[in-house]
Amino acid sequence: MRRIRVAILTAILIAMAAAGWYLHDPPWIAGITSGLRSWEEDPPGTRFRWTAGHATFYIPSDVVELTLPLRGAFPSPNGGAVLVRMSVDDRWLADFELHDPAAWVRPTIPIPDRPTSRRYRRVELRISRTVGQYNLGVQVGELEFRRAQ
Amino acid sequence: MPERILRRFGLLATIVTLTAYVLVHAAALIDAPIHSDGYSYYVYLPAWFLHHDPSLQAVADDCCGGTFPAFTSIVRWPATGRWINPHPIGVALATAPLFLSAHLLTRWSNLPPDGFSLYYQHAAGLAGAAACLVGLLYLRSLLSRYFNASVVLATLTTIVLGTNLFHYATYDSTFSHAFSFALLAALLDLTDRWWREPAWPASLALSIVAALIVLTRHSNLMFLCIVPLWNPAGLWNRRWLLLAMCAVAALCCIPQLVIYKQATGRWLVSVYGQLGQFDFARPRLWSVLFGVAKGLFFWSPVLLLSAAGFFVDHPLARRLRAAAALTFVLNTWLIASWSDWQFGASFGHRGYTDGLPIAAVFMAATFDWIRRRPRLVAPAAACVTVLVALSCVQMVQYWLRILPMANTTWPQYRDLFLRFR
Repeated sequence: MRRIRVAILTAILIAMAAAGWYLHDPPWIAGITSGLRSWEEDPPGTRFRWTAGHATFYIPSDVVELTLPLRGAFPSPNGGAVLVRMSVDDRWLADFELHDPAAWVRPTIPIPDRPTSRRYRRVELRISRTVGQYNLGVQVGELEFRRAQ
Repeated sequence: MPERILRRFGLLATIVTLTAYVLVHAAALIDAPIHSDGYSYYVYLPAWFLHHDPSLQAVADDCCGGTFPAFTSIVRWPATGRWINPHPIGVALATAPLFLSAHLLTRWSNLPPDGFSLYYQHAAGLAGAAACLVGLLYLRSLLSRYFNASVVLATLTTIVLGTNLFHYATYDSTFSHAFSFALLAALLDLTDRWWREPAWPASLALSIVAALIVLTRHSNLMFLCIVPLWNPAGLWNRRWLLLAMCAVAALCCIPQLVIYKQATGRWLVSVYGQLGQFDFARPRLWSVLFGVAKGLFFWSPVLLLSAAGFFVDHPLARRLRAAAALTFVLNTWLIASWSDWQFGASFGHRGYTDGLPIAAVFMAATFDWIRRRPRLVAPAAACVTVLVALSCVQMVQYWLRILPMANTTWPQYRDLFLRFR
């Protein structure tokens, strides 16, 4: 009986260690987003997703340059620019000011080469205002990125 | 045989509940565990532990550009301009251990540490499921002292599958109802133990459970009358101990009062006054109890067995009868007087889910009465099985959005009866 218990306990510990190792860098994280609505298409054919006040997505860790299409679509309540703050893995990277609600802005941002043991980096956008009952932030178009050679 | 199943009831209930929970979310029957009322019960946790801002403003800034969506019912208090949440902190307190585990795991996996990403969502969802299971174990403990294994097993199965309890343990598990169910089941079990032997661990546990009941849903304060009404003749002998327990319970409620004071400038507030109206002179009693839209006995007809058990002479039913009558009348009047007496989107009437442990006691008394009349056992078992199956079918219809979320009419109900397309 004692042997069975030890065997079960050992199996549980091994399973937990394996789960911990797997969850440190899970492959499915690439498909995880939060604070982003489903893809929509602008009449001219531009695909985009609405963010909420805070949006997250992942990029491969060997990306060295990222182009992020952004459009405010609605002005700020005070009439000023909509501010989008971007961070990567919890470190601030850049701020973007969207002055014209109708215009797409396509900033290209160099991603600092920081050593990481993970396959993906977490990119977060924080938007200075949201609009309406659907909590709409800004429109984000399809990302383009350049990976390390 | 029933003894063996009852011994393993916790394991069986866990398997069934987790399977349903996984199916609901794997099939994307609902967007995320934290939704609707579940959001405002949960929102304290990211506010306290991630943003270190009990005023909730930092969460509003982070999620929603400085404000909260209307569905949360979190409103600015007119006099102070600060956020006030109509839902108290009890669910958040009960969810906190799983939330903190989810936060560590989120950091480990590099998921967004915003309080609403994958692990946080399921920590909150599973906390409600776990609460329901704990409640069932408390109920098993209480009922097993008074009834045989067959009766206890039949009662637990019927109360969990024949009412909306299973729905609030799986689909809407972040709402307060599974937590209140667990706390009320604990209150019943502890009250019974405490009146047998007022040892200090039982007294302390009873005080904390009483506080958590109030902190989870303020109107459930009424259920605390169970403790004195369990044995009115013994009250005088235990008056000092009871007073001390009241003091401990009141002490546990102080954090909620501080939150109210900071948000509104007052120690006690009713936020519901901003969200709707009570009309105590014209309660919709028939609609609440028997109506098609959300009537308690219409959607959970097995509870008629509990109503019958009220009149059965059994030692446990006798202990609970006065408190049950008082709380049922008060709760029904309160619900029926509220402008949104259907409680928004819900399966069955969720205003009564919290009190199901009391219903379970009287249901067990009915089952026990039937057990002693062998000729009634088979027809009664057949009826109960059909009613439980009907409740399960309707629950799945609700999950699939075949049944309306509210305002169901008789023609609608008739057209949709047992339909899955």
